[in-house]
Amino acid sequence: MSVAGFAVIAFLLTGYVLLDGYDLGVAAIAPLIGRSDHERASAMASIGPFWNGNEVWLIAAGAALFALFPAAYASSFSGFYLPFIVALWLLMFRGIALEVRERRASELWHQFWDAAFSLASGLLIVLFGVALGNLLRGVPLDSAGYFQGTFAFLLNPYALLVGVFALVTLGAHGAAFAAMRIDGEPGARATRLVRRAVWLMLVLYVAVTASTFAMHVPIRASWLFVMPLLSLAALAGLWQAARKGREVGAFAMSSCFIVALLVTAAGTLFPYLLPAFPAGSGGISIFEAAPSATALSCALTVTLLGIVLLAIYAPAVWQRMGGKIRVE
Amino acid sequence: MDPVLADRLQFAFTIMFHYLFPIGTMGLAPFVAAYTWKAARNRDEETARIARFWTRIFAINFAAGVVTGIPMEFQFGTNWAAFSRRSGAVVGQPLAMESMFAFFLESVFLAVLLYRRRELPTMFTAWSAVLVCAGSWLSGFFIVATDAWMQHPVGYAIDPDGTIRLESIWAVLSSPFLIWQFLHVLNGALLAGGFIVMGVGAYYLLSRREEAIGRRFVRAGVIVGLIFSLLAIFPTGDRNGRNVTTFQPIKLAAMEGLFATEREAPLAIIGMPDARHQQLIDPIFVPEFLSFLAYGNFRANVSGLSAYARELWPPVELTYYAYHVMVGLGTIFAAVTGIAVLLLLAAQLWRAHWMLWLLMLLMPFPYIANEAGWVVAEVGRQPWIIYGLMRTSQGTSPTVASGETIFTLIGFAGMYFLLGVLYLFMVLREIELGPSAADKT
Repeated sequence: MSVAGFAVIAFLLTGYVLLDGYDLGVAAIAPLIGRSDHERASAMASIGPFWNGNEVWLIAAGAALFALFPAAYASSFSGFYLPFIVALWLLMFRGIALEVRERRASELWHQFWDAAFSLASGLLIVLFGVALGNLLRGVPLDSAGYFQGTFAFLLNPYALLVGVFALVTLGAHGAAFAAMRIDGEPGARATRLVRRAVWLMLVLYVAVTASTFAMHVPIRASWLFVMPLLSLAALAGLWQAARKGREVGAFAMSSCFIVALLVTAAGTLFPYLLPAFPAGSGGISIFEAAPSATALSCALTVTLLGIVLLAIYAPAVWQRMGGKIRVE
Repeated sequence: MDPVLADRLQFAFTIMFHYLFPIGTMGLAPFVAAYTWKAARNRDEETARIARFWTRIFAINFAAGVVTGIPMEFQFGTNWAAFSRRSGAVVGQPLAMESMFAFFLESVFLAVLLYRRRELPTMFTAWSAVLVCAGSWLSGFFIVATDAWMQHPVGYAIDPDGTIRLESIWAVLSSPFLIWQFLHVLNGALLAGGFIVMGVGAYYLLSRREEAIGRRFVRAGVIVGLIFSLLAIFPTGDRNGRNVTTFQPIKLAAMEGLFATEREAPLAIIGMPDARHQQLIDPIFVPEFLSFLAYGNFRANVSGLSAYARELWPPVELTYYAYHVMVGLGTIFAAVTGIAVLLLLAAQLWRAHWMLWLLMLLMPFPYIANEAGWVVAEVGRQPWIIYGLMRTSQGTSPTVASGETIFTLIGFAGMYFLLGVLYLFMVLREIELGPSAADKT
């Protein structure tokens, strides 16, 4: 039963990374694909109608964790107190930037909010990456299961490496989305950016995988050894699609790559929600923080029903909003 | 500083600032839906412009609500870890439902309204507006469900280690406390929506622009305003008050400033509570009326604060004043919109400039009444975080120091100041441009 709860949270978080990932990515690379005021405006416009909905996935994942594994929710959120609040501020700041940029026809105003938008979004990606890195590495837990995070502990080379990897991967994901959604020069630049990013992603992927092994993180499931093959296959597919100018294909491949990474991460963590540091010394697992059958079936029903409903209405809506954004 | 106080201050500040925006979204959503629907049905360009105007203002509110709302859900974990750990299995459920059923619905269909903004709305757009409205109300329902459970916990069991287990989600969602609290909250937002629409209309009429549209706004706004001013008193306010009487008698005593237990208890219209000397200074009473309001019987016995241990009292002054501000404003709203509707029926309203001034200046006050109502509910719930089950002082995060909370509180204050300034700038700009201005790209 607890396994299903773990799967729900992993699913919602994967949805979040795929969806908000592309709009954070577009924001982070906006200065690279948009040289003029108009071009940068098109980058924001490409995600304008979607970012709200994408952030809902984060809220949904947070709520599911709250409902299913309260102990893990309480320990991780209060343990990562300051990084978490800073992430919230960054989320707010980029939301504000998106909303206010077009409200004044002043180039200075646009420049300020463009910079705020890109910086806040890029930092958020790095922050999420660092958080994931620390999750994989484990954090020190006290006997009551609470964790006292210090910056010195959280800002370790491994976590920072994962942070950089996240920035490059989601930047490329955003570029693939921008290539799909924006016409003209910025779109073409985004395609070129994806092509170049693939090599960097390959190098970082190898580095992160090697350092994960070097930390002796216990690999509990043998199927995990297949994941690198799938990840590399998705990366190769991304390179192919970007080279041939298949925009939808590139975005799909980039999505596959991210899903493969997250499945690897989830498989490595399982059955822990918050593993203890050093690796292999236990932590808060789904069995210790197990939800009751009522709570689990309720949250599971809610999540599945919500996803089914979303799968019915969202594609119908998005279909009507297709087409590329033209840059005058 | 006491860490509990720091956490409470931060929660109070962030939730009260956040709640300003849901008032606008829940209150304006039906106007957006109604105007969009009418424009789609009648193929009417003026109504379409009005619909787009309110959609733009709604969208600004929605975005501000989203950015200030995300911290709310996460604050349970960051600042109230002990509470979350104990009650998450129950409290987390309505929050998960809000994301899955309300937020997705709202955000997807709002995208439709914002995306096709230069064309006449189709029936697809009209249905989208209805669904956005449904989403915003549903979201309110699930949040009030969370709060109503903290006010009057039902459908749970307690494990040997103290963890609260979910027994029945249906009991949580059909709690007797929830229904009237939700209707009263929604009522408050709809009242505010009516006041916003009439206030903007009055502003246009007084500044002699958009006059045809201004009249439509004032007409719609005063009628909606009157209806919900009356419903706020009866039945939603009355029934909500009865629930407080039944389930939280100490809160009732604090709201009314009633220290001694009395038969034929009088209702204090004004007066200053002095908790130390347990008296109401300089009061004006309506005899026997509190007994009637609480129990529907002028002879009923109403328990005063002195009947309960001092440590179970909520902060009396704050609860008392917040309640009196809410009720006082509610009475004024009913009176003013009542007179405005009479003037409207007598075809005198457009000449009554004093009334238009009043309608315009009343615009912020429903916000105050709504916030005051929440202060009654939440401050009046003290010292409990879950009524009768868990003290607020036991709910905070053991690993977060008060210094950290004060730092983040200062950060939130700065962030929200910036957001508030930008929000006003954006909304005032939309009102200044007006419904007739060409829609921007």
